[in-house]
Amino acid sequence: MDNVKDRKILIVDDEPEIRAMVERFLRREGFYRIHTAGDCASALSLCRSVRPDMAILDVMLPDGDVFSLLSAIRQFSDMPVLLLTARGEDEDRLLGLGLGADDYMVKPFLPRELVLRLTAILKRVYSSPAEKRLAAFRLGDVLVDLDSAVVRGPRGEQALTAKEHALLAKLHQERNRIVTSDALCQAVWGDDSYGYKNTLMVHIRRIREKIEPDPSNPVHLLTVRGLGYKLLVKETG
Amino acid sequence: MDGMIRILRRYVAGAILLSVLLLLFNFILLGTLVFKEFRRQPSPEGVVREVAERLTREGGRYALGDEAARLLRRHRAWAMLLGEDGGVKWGERLPDDVPRTYRLTDVAKFSRYYLAEYPVYIWEHADGLVVVGFPKNSYGKYQFNWDADWVRSVPWRLLALLLLNAAVALLLSVLMGLRLVRSIRPLVTGVHKLAREEPVRLDTRGLLGDVAGSINTASAILQEKNAALKARDEARSNWIAGISHDIRTPLSMILGYASELEESPELPEEQRRQAGIIRRQGEKLRSLVRDLNLVSMLEYDMQPLHLERVRLPSLARQAAADMLNGGLDERYAIELRLADEEALINGDKKLLLRAIGNLLQNSVNHNPEGCRIAIETYLSEDRTRCCLAVRDDGRGVPREQLAELTELPYASKRKKPPRNGHGLGLPMVARIAKAHHGRLLLDSPDGGGLTAAMEFPAEGA
Repeated sequence: MDNVKDRKILIVDDEPEIRAMVERFLRREGFYRIHTAGDCASALSLCRSVRPDMAILDVMLPDGDVFSLLSAIRQFSDMPVLLLTARGEDEDRLLGLGLGADDYMVKPFLPRELVLRLTAILKRVYSSPAEKRLAAFRLGDVLVDLDSAVVRGPRGEQALTAKEHALLAKLHQERNRIVTSDALCQAVWGDDSYGYKNTLMVHIRRIREKIEPDPSNPVHLLTVRGLGYKLLVKETG
Repeated sequence: MDGMIRILRRYVAGAILLSVLLLLFNFILLGTLVFKEFRRQPSPEGVVREVAERLTREGGRYALGDEAARLLRRHRAWAMLLGEDGGVKWGERLPDDVPRTYRLTDVAKFSRYYLAEYPVYIWEHADGLVVVGFPKNSYGKYQFNWDADWVRSVPWRLLALLLLNAAVALLLSVLMGLRLVRSIRPLVTGVHKLAREEPVRLDTRGLLGDVAGSINTASAILQEKNAALKARDEARSNWIAGISHDIRTPLSMILGYASELEESPELPEEQRRQAGIIRRQGEKLRSLVRDLNLVSMLEYDMQPLHLERVRLPSLARQAAADMLNGGLDERYAIELRLADEEALINGDKKLLLRAIGNLLQNSVNHNPEGCRIAIETYLSEDRTRCCLAVRDDGRGVPREQLAELTELPYASKRKKPPRNGHGLGLPMVARIAKAHHGRLLLDSPDGGGLTAAMEFPAEGA
């Protein structure tokens, strides 16, 4: 069961054509243990009989809304849930009800988006502890290992401080995208007050001293003037 | 409440003024109406004096001047002269029932009261006492005697009388004013409530019952109309939400299968390109449905706001970063001029980001040949308002079209159909600003370019 593709997926939607389409996309992506239901009652009985590993639930069902279904499921199962909605509902309403929905998507969605979200949730919930380790990535001839908080390169092994580690983790999570200084301060200090701006610059300079061949002419951790920073990472697949 | 005190004050002042005027008026009436005859000439004393002065002695006889005799006749009075011995020395028109001799006690009596029921008046004469009698019941004679202390205290007593009168007038006017205020107060609060569109239910008994009834009716009508308006707004909003919902499911299928065809390796290049077109148009429809729903929710005040303290410069950076991360073409340049880092407002982060994104996208859409876009944040001079402006140096908009850009497309106020996109972008920004108690100001200076400034009330730091 190490492969996410081996997981059992339950699709619940009152539109048979949507069910068929989602099932088709998942099968094409390699999922093969797929069950479908069109209403709460059959969904609940399927949950009891086949014990799916994950459910994709439409918010509006003919015999009740998804929230009563979800609380019924939660009586015996902690499986992750991805909600589908055709109304422009509030995110807080969908995810903030304490029912443990993991994510939601607003219809219409592209199949690629759905599969990406689904596999992301499955990986997060079911991957072995070894796979849960934080990423290690290469910047030129430097290897950044976030899990053990060290940088290995031509200059030897250097440890990352807690703040440097938090900054690099955030930048790596949003790699190849501009991250505003406010978002970085929020990620590291839990506060986006502008008062941290200078401190942030100091930390960025220290990170550059560890990862850049020439810290005054950075090629990996770039400054986007007036906005924030961007970590360039070549995807290795 | 302030109004009620004002009414009471006016009322009391009016009552006092009225009583003072009434007092003055009464004094005048007393002089002109009541004591008018007091001043009639000649008075009985005048007659007796005239007679005494005109009574002269020639030889052994007394003679009265003609004028004095006429005076006596006119008053139908009689006259006599009493000598030192109490006998009548002379008489004129003397009635028969009047004695001809008098003792000292008789003189003392009639000098104060009546002589055989005739009111008589006396005057000193060289040869005795002149007595003039007027017809019976023509004058009343009264004797007044006063304690000297009492007479001295009269001015103070009068003053006390006046003050007591003033106090009573004040008390009565306050009491009556309070009564009036008490009957008006529910009406006033009712009208104030009416202005705030709260339901009003007043007691229709009492003096101003019909006014109270009218206020109740007005309130009922207002409530009814508001309820009808709200129901209609809700119906419209729900209708749009319903249509959006019904579009989303088929659109899911269109997008899903089109993107599958687009990525299918078995299809020839041309068909995959066409599937790509279907997918992109489907995505356009998706954004239209999304925007339509949000604009409709905002228009009918049904969009929930998740308010928190937001720094505008932080939002400006986020919006610019989102735009650049989304792959902005090189023809466009974004510049930030963030003057005041502490420009705080109370706002919904997601909605505000959406609004700034719309403004940026608007500049991009309307200037296909490229432009420079500046995002500015600043506080107004009195630091009560925070502004976020998106300024481009592109083609701009003719001044007369600026106002209708924030109207909904196809609204009656909007004459031209939207040029690019679905035309919901700027109306949405205007409505997001309004939902934050702010506004959207559009300007297109003559040199070209468009400036869209959102202005919000500043949140005290």
